[in-house]
Amino acid sequence: MITSSITLCGLLLATALTLPASAQDLSTIEWQTNYDDPPIGDPAALKGGIFHTFMAAYPLTLRLVGPNSNDGFSSWKRAVTMDFGLVARHPTTDNYVPWMATHWSVQDDKRTLYFKLDPDALWSDGKPVTAADYVHTLHMMQSEAIVDPFYNNYAEEHYEDVVAIEPYVLKIVGKFESWRPLDMFGLWATPAHAVTLEEGFPERYNTTVLPVQGPYVLSEKEAGQYVVFTRLEDWWGKDKHYWRGMYNPDRIHIRVIDDSDRALDFFKKGKLSLYRVNTAKKWAEEMEFEATENGWAHRKRLFVDYPSGVYGFAMNLERTIFQNKDFRKAIQYLFNFDEINEKLMYNAYYRAVSAFTGTEYQNPELKPYGFDPRKARQHLRKAGYAKRGEDGILVDTEGNRAAFTFSYGSKGLERHMTVVKQVFKRFGVDMDLRLLEPGTAFRNGMEREYEMTLMGRTAGRFPGPHQYYGSVFKETKNNNNVWAYGTAYTDSLIDVYRFNMDKNKRLQAMHELDAILQDEAFYVPFWQAPFMRFLYWDYVSFPSFYFPKRIQQMTDWQVFWIDEDKRRALADAMADGRALGRNAVIDVDPYEVKDRLEAAMKAAGDG
Amino acid sequence: MRIDPITRKRLRRFRRLKRGYYSFLILAGFTALSLFSNYIANRRAIVVSYQDSLYFPTFRFHDMATFGQQDEYGFDDVEADYTALQQTFRQDGGRNWVLMPLVPFDPYEPDFEYDHPPPNPPDRRHWFGTDSQGRDVFARLLYGFRISILFAVSLVVVGEVIGTIVGSMQGFLGGRFDIFSQRFIEIWSTLPFLYVVILLATFFKPSFLSLLAIMTLFEWIRMTYYMRTEIYREKTKEYCLAARSFGASRRRLIFRHLLPNCMTPLVTITPFAIVGAISVLTALDYLGYGLPAPTPSWGEMIDQAMDSSNRDKIWLSVAPFTAISVTLLLVTLIGEAIREAFDPKQYAHYT
Repeated sequence: MITSSITLCGLLLATALTLPASAQDLSTIEWQTNYDDPPIGDPAALKGGIFHTFMAAYPLTLRLVGPNSNDGFSSWKRAVTMDFGLVARHPTTDNYVPWMATHWSVQDDKRTLYFKLDPDALWSDGKPVTAADYVHTLHMMQSEAIVDPFYNNYAEEHYEDVVAIEPYVLKIVGKFESWRPLDMFGLWATPAHAVTLEEGFPERYNTTVLPVQGPYVLSEKEAGQYVVFTRLEDWWGKDKHYWRGMYNPDRIHIRVIDDSDRALDFFKKGKLSLYRVNTAKKWAEEMEFEATENGWAHRKRLFVDYPSGVYGFAMNLERTIFQNKDFRKAIQYLFNFDEINEKLMYNAYYRAVSAFTGTEYQNPELKPYGFDPRKARQHLRKAGYAKRGEDGILVDTEGNRAAFTFSYGSKGLERHMTVVKQVFKRFGVDMDLRLLEPGTAFRNGMEREYEMTLMGRTAGRFPGPHQYYGSVFKETKNNNNVWAYGTAYTDSLIDVYRFNMDKNKRLQAMHELDAILQDEAFYVPFWQAPFMRFLYWDYVSFPSFYFPKRIQQMTDWQVFWIDEDKRRALADAMADGRALGRNAVIDVDPYEVKDRLEAAMKAAGDG
Repeated sequence: MRIDPITRKRLRRFRRLKRGYYSFLILAGFTALSLFSNYIANRRAIVVSYQDSLYFPTFRFHDMATFGQQDEYGFDDVEADYTALQQTFRQDGGRNWVLMPLVPFDPYEPDFEYDHPPPNPPDRRHWFGTDSQGRDVFARLLYGFRISILFAVSLVVVGEVIGTIVGSMQGFLGGRFDIFSQRFIEIWSTLPFLYVVILLATFFKPSFLSLLAIMTLFEWIRMTYYMRTEIYREKTKEYCLAARSFGASRRRLIFRHLLPNCMTPLVTITPFAIVGAISVLTALDYLGYGLPAPTPSWGEMIDQAMDSSNRDKIWLSVAPFTAISVTLLLVTLIGEAIREAFDPKQYAHYT
C-alpha cells in the first residue's frame, strides 16, 4: 500500500518535471522499431485466386465514421482497406511492430508519442500518405459534420493534440497518462486530399469509394447482393516484413447471406471458401456431408488465446439474500456447469474461472467452484437455511424462503437456465426465471434492478477492473459495477493495476484481486470458447499455425491463400467423384491453449 | 332449474348437430381429463404404500428419508425418487408398493438418461420425444393444454361479465353515460394490445393471474358493443314497455326481461372468443412474454420447434401444431353449431 503510493507520487513528480520535447527538437528523440519478430503470415503463401465469404447484411454505408458505419461490414473495411494503424500488436508475440509507421517513440510523460511514417506509403490513387492525413483524421473525428457523437466524444476524451511536425513525422499527445499509450492514442489515416469535412458529409461519402492505404480496393458492389474487394497488384506494402504472406487472394467476394444456417448450405454447395461454425450442435452433428466425407473440404478447431470478457451470472449485493456470502457460495457450488456442458452443449465449451479469463491477469492458481451439493449444503446451513418448507424449498428461522429471481434478456439462455433451476430446486433453492426485453434486461442490470442476472461484456486484452469493481461506482447506478461491490483494499489493488508502471506489480495485484473476487462469490463465470471452428475447401491453404494466436474474427488477419493448382485438382476430383485424402486431425493447438485448459481442468478435478 | 321452452329447443337442436355436439363432448372430455394431469404425467407417485401407511405425494413434498432413500451425495432430505422407489420395492418383493402415473415424467425435470444431447426422438420412454431441454413433450403438451384452456375460459368469462355489465348499462341508461363511456371505449380499443402487454410484462412479473388481469383490460371491450346495441333495441320493444307499464322495477326489468333476451350474441360469440384467447396466449408465450419459463406452454413449444437448430427435429413441431389445430378446430365446430342452434331465422316465417 505504502510502496504503491510512493510510486504514484514519484510518477506525478516526474510528469510535472518532464517538459514535452519541443516540436522542432527531433534529434533528442529515441526512436524504437522492431523488425525481429516473425512475419504474421507465411511468406511462402501464394498470391491469386478468389476467396468467397459472406456477411449477414449489405452495408448501409462505405464510410468508417458517421451514421450506420459501425456495422458488420466495417471489420472488412478496416481490415483490408482503410484502417491501418501506426503500429500494431503482433498477433502472436504481442510485441509492437511497425505498421504505417516505421519508428515510434513514447515520451516519459506516457502520453506524448512520436511516429516516423513509412515514406513508401501511398494512397491507392498514387498520392503519398503523410502526417497531414492523420491530423485530418482527428479533425474528422472532432467534426460536427460527420454526425457521429461516438467519435466526437472519443476524440474529446483521447486526444490533446495531433501535429504534423514534418511530412513524415507525426506527434500525438494523449489526454491522459497511460502505461500503454500506443494502444490508447493510435490513429488511422484519412486521405486529406479526398475527404472534405463539410455539412452533408454522411450523404456525400455514403457510397464513395475513397483512396485506401491498404492492399485491397472495393471494386464491385451490387446492393443487397455482394461486395468485391480486388487486390492492388503493386501495393506499396507488399514486401514489408510483417505483411509478407498476408493479403493473398486476388479477389475477396463477400456475398450477403442473412442466416448462418443457410450460409452453411452455400458452403456445402461450394459457394463459400471458408465457413466459421458457430454452434456446438452444428459442429457435432452437421459436419459429415459429401464434401467432408470425400476429403474435398476439411474442418478444424483451432485453439486461440483471446480474452473472453465477463460472461456469467451476477448477484446483486444490494439485495438482502445475496448479502450473505455463504448463500452466494452455496449458489456457486450448486451450479452444475459440467452437466450442462455435457448434456446440452456436446461438451464443446470450457468453464471460465476467473474474472479476467483469457488475459495474463487471470490468476493461474484459481480453481472453479465445482458442483458440490455437500459443500453447498454446509454453506446454506451457515446462511441459516436449514429446514425445508412445505414445498420443499429451504426456509430460515424467520421463515424467509431461499428464493430469488433470475432475469435475463435472451430467450436462448432459457435452455440452460431451466436445467439450472431444476438442480437448485432439488437442493432446496427456488430460482424464478424472468425473461425481459433485451434492452430492459440490460438497463435493469446497469441500474441494479435485479437479484441475479446474466452479465455479458466483451473485453480487450486489458481488463477494466476499475469500472467493474471500483467502489466509487457502488454508490451510483448506471455503470458496469452491476454487483455493487468494492472495498478500500480491492480499490488499492485496482489502483496498482491502473497506475503502477511495474508490470510484475500489476500482475501480482490483479492475481490477488482475482482470488478475492472468486472468494466473494458474487460472480458465477459461465463458459469460454477459446477456439475457432471452421470448415474450408481443400483449395484454401493456411500457414502451419492456421491463424495468429490473438484472433477473434475471421477478418482480423488475412493469412490464408488460394492454391490454384489444388483448386484445379479439386475440381477434377469432384467431377470424377473421386475422394481426396481426408484430413483426420481436427483439433489444432499451436499455442498450447487446449493443453493448458485441460491441465487446469484436471487439476481442478483432482483438487 | 327451470329452462324456458326456447332455450330447451335450442339445446335440443344443438344436440342434433352431430359435428358440433361431438366436438363439444370430445373437448369437454379432454378438459376434464387435463384437470387430472398431475395424476397422468408426473414424477411423483399417485399412491405409495410404505410400512403400512399410505402416502399421496401428488401435491405434497416428501423427502427421501420418508421412504428410507438416500441420493448419491448421501442426502435424504431431497425429494423422493418414486421411480427408483418402485423398482426397489419390486425387487424387495415386500408389501410396500408404489402406483406411478401413466407417464412417469413431469413437464419440468430434464431427462438426461440419453447419450445424445436433447432433443431426442420419440421412443418407448418418451412417447412424443423430449424437447431441447430433455423434458417430456407429452407431459408439456398435456399441462400446456390445461393452462391454455383454463386461461382462455377464465379470460372469456371474466371479460364477458364485465363487458355485459358495461354494455348493458350503456344501453339501458343511455344519454350522457353512454356518450362518455363509448368515447372511452373507442380510445381504449385503439391501444395496441400486444405491445401494451409486453410493456406491462416488464413491470409486473407475469403469472397466471397477472396475465389474466392484464388481458382482461382489453377482453371486455368487444362484448360491450353487442350488449349495448341489444339492450338499446330490446328496451323499446313492446314486452318491455308492457312490463314497465305494469310497474316492474328496474332490477326486474333488466334481469327478468332484458338480459335473457340478449343472451344470443353472448352465447354465440363465446367459443370464438375462446379460440382468440388461446391464440393470443400461445402468441405471447411464443414471443416469450407470456407465462414465465419453465411453465409448460404451447407457444414455448412452437418456439422450440421453429428454432433453426431444431429444424430436423420434426416431433417438436408435430405435437404442438397438431394439438393447437385440433383444439381450435373443435372449438370452432362447437361455435358453429351453437350459432346455428341459436339462429333466430329457424323460427321466423317470412311471407
